[in-house]
Amino acid sequence: MVELLQNIVEALNNSHPIIQFCTYLSLFFIAIIILLVIYLKNLRDRLRIKGRIEATYKKKYEAELIEYLYADDDKNNNLQQQQIITYFKKSSENRLKRKLIIATFLKLKNEISGETSDAIQNLYYQTGLIDSATSKLKSKKWDTVARAIRELTLFEIKEAHDEIIQLINHPKKEVRNEIQKYLVKLFRFDGLEFLNVLENPLSEWDQIQLLEILNKFNNLEVPDMNNWLQSTNNSVLSFTLKLAKIYNQYGVKDEIIALFNHADIQIRIEAINVVAHLGIYEAVAVLKEDYFTRSLDEQIAFFKMMEEMAVPDDIPFVRDHIENENFFIRISVMKILNLITVDDDNTFKINTTATDFTIDKDLTIAS
Amino acid sequence: MMLNLPEQLINFFDYIFFGFAIAAISSYIILAIISAFETVNYMKKNSFVNYTEILSSSISPSISIIAPAYNESLNIVENVRSLLSNHYVNYDVIIINDGSKDDTLEKLIEAYDLVKVDYLINNQVATKPLRKGVFKSTNPAFEKLIVVDKENGGKADALNLGLNISTNKYVACIDVDCLLLEDSLQKMIKPFLEATDHKVIAAGGVIRIANSCIIKDGKLLDINFPKNSIVRGQILEYLRAFLLGRMAWSKLNGLLVISGAFGLFDKKIALEVGGYDTKTVGEDMEIIVRMRRYMEEKKAKYKVAYIPDPLCWTEAPDNYKIFISQRNRWTRGTIETLKKHKKIGFNPKYNSLGILSYPYWFLFERLAPIIEVLGLFYFLLLIVTNNVVWDYAVLFLIVAYLFTVLFSIITIIAEELTYHQYTKRGMGKQLIKTAFTEPILNHPFILYAAIKGNFDYYFNKSIKWGEMTRKGMSSN
Repeated sequence: MVELLQNIVEALNNSHPIIQFCTYLSLFFIAIIILLVIYLKNLRDRLRIKGRIEATYKKKYEAELIEYLYADDDKNNNLQQQQIITYFKKSSENRLKRKLIIATFLKLKNEISGETSDAIQNLYYQTGLIDSATSKLKSKKWDTVARAIRELTLFEIKEAHDEIIQLINHPKKEVRNEIQKYLVKLFRFDGLEFLNVLENPLSEWDQIQLLEILNKFNNLEVPDMNNWLQSTNNSVLSFTLKLAKIYNQYGVKDEIIALFNHADIQIRIEAINVVAHLGIYEAVAVLKEDYFTRSLDEQIAFFKMMEEMAVPDDIPFVRDHIENENFFIRISVMKILNLITVDDDNTFKINTTATDFTIDKDLTIAS
Repeated sequence: MMLNLPEQLINFFDYIFFGFAIAAISSYIILAIISAFETVNYMKKNSFVNYTEILSSSISPSISIIAPAYNESLNIVENVRSLLSNHYVNYDVIIINDGSKDDTLEKLIEAYDLVKVDYLINNQVATKPLRKGVFKSTNPAFEKLIVVDKENGGKADALNLGLNISTNKYVACIDVDCLLLEDSLQKMIKPFLEATDHKVIAAGGVIRIANSCIIKDGKLLDINFPKNSIVRGQILEYLRAFLLGRMAWSKLNGLLVISGAFGLFDKKIALEVGGYDTKTVGEDMEIIVRMRRYMEEKKAKYKVAYIPDPLCWTEAPDNYKIFISQRNRWTRGTIETLKKHKKIGFNPKYNSLGILSYPYWFLFERLAPIIEVLGLFYFLLLIVTNNVVWDYAVLFLIVAYLFTVLFSIITIIAEELTYHQYTKRGMGKQLIKTAFTEPILNHPFILYAAIKGNFDYYFNKSIKWGEMTRKGMSSN
């Protein structure tokens, strides 16, 4: 056997370099394949076991937490509670266990309210989990920082505000987004203070998230938006326009009209879109005046707005556009004319129901 | 020592084939490494995303799902129900009955209480005319549904009519028999809404194979690994392409194709470039290349995004006849697209599109099967002329085979570490077994289909889409 191997090695050494290379490469590939197959087997086993371990620990932590929460106020029980705190403290030294403990706390915290919920919050302090989260705010790893902020948000730790706000212009957008959510979830409209100092753009995705968080709270006092409507950050303008629309901020109409001349076309269009919702009738005259100098998208937005705001006096202007080349403008014109029609006695009336118009330019009526 | 001409030729071809093999292997390794980094990055970032917040928001952007249907009578009612059960708040479903000869339309009318309505259509892209018109439901539960009956014009023509009909900002073009997961739209829309310094023009997701999976009421209930070896091979092939290929191209902003089974588009850009090309069988790739070309020529900052999450499950061919027909079409689509847009190839004016994506597709997708077959002919010639260096030839084949197996196993590990969809006991073994058998059972047919696709493209112009008989996923 040894002799055979020696002969093979000798033959290989005497062969062409390409043959040698291919042989060694094949052996290398075979070795890697064997190792990877073993790794794959272990990985699948581990993933399966991990699920079971997690389920076991979750059950255990839930039981401990319930025991802690429903213990009576006598001496023995206080001792038992202390033991549970120590147990959680010790367990949370392990990363996976800490994750499971936090998940267990949060799950129960979201299911209940009042004193019990406060007790869980208290336990979060007593187990030192809060210290672990706040210390992570200084981490150099962006995902560790973001995870810590999320945890502090979920446990509603308002004390971390000053430390967190320092990171508002963090280079990673995921961290910035977690901070924004922290501020708005915990401080509602006051949390929007970050808009004053935000240097990076607030994406539409972020804006929707923040508006949805605010939407969950009722009877909030809407803050003054004037400053934000003069921001040099276009995404702040865009977000504020959405806020003005949702919270019916008619008081900022002058600032909105001023945005009709903003350098960014998207902001101009968004401002026009808000006008109809707030019923800012002064804006119609402003937009009609320089209608022809505006871009097509703005003109479409203007006519869309006019569907809600047109009055009989606007009929001549609107009618001039019935043959407009743009489909959407023609549709808007039809809708407007359909709402405001002229009676036989030459007086205008506003219809409440619309029927379909037909025109035969570049469009098909499917009937 | 001077070599004679035949020896010089043999040396020349040896180096050509060896060089091509090394280049292909290197490109796969580089793409896999980039994919690995990008996937880790994606998973990390995605762990902070809460998709439920976008779900309920009334200001989330509106999306039209456009699904062409041709002779889909068997499953159309179920398929539409699946599309209507998406969790996204702001969307509609436009079914284009593309001149079906069966009772697809009648089934829809009956199941969804449809009535004919007057509907103004903005004819921005020319399409075949309507047949019976536009239908909407009288049942408020199906208010999101619009059904359009038109004369047959092919998938691209049907999608173009969908673009004309849609009044929404984004359009999701899908195959009607695909199973979209309930959170697929919010995952697909995310890159469009996240972009602040560039425009996302299109996004594609991962397509998974649903053969043998249990699907009920438009929901994926149980993932199984099919017994059919052709389907198994395709599962592995899709995993390789999506997990280790497209992720890297997305990072390099070089994606040239979004699967026709499910893609989300910025409707304005799609219309500005003229919609889908009805003259090609590879309309899904062609429109992406055209949109990219358009953006490059406008010198606009843009991206074609890719979502690595499994969002859409589809039925794969389970016999060689349909499998070959499908791959034949893919080959013709690639040839047509690359030929139509040859101007961008190797052209630095088009940045990474011209100097990276196009050359890669040209060399490793367009030319690879041709070079492989030439290599086989060359090998036969060497056998006939008794010029084969057998130990070299055998070792070359072994290295190629082992590399393919190794690459597939790495793909399986990537799948386990990320989405871990094949969780049942024994599936790991089956996947590994497939890694060893797929190069033998599937690859020769892929090669044959690619060569036939080349032949059909040049000498048999009358062939268009080819046959794709569906058995229906719900019946599994």
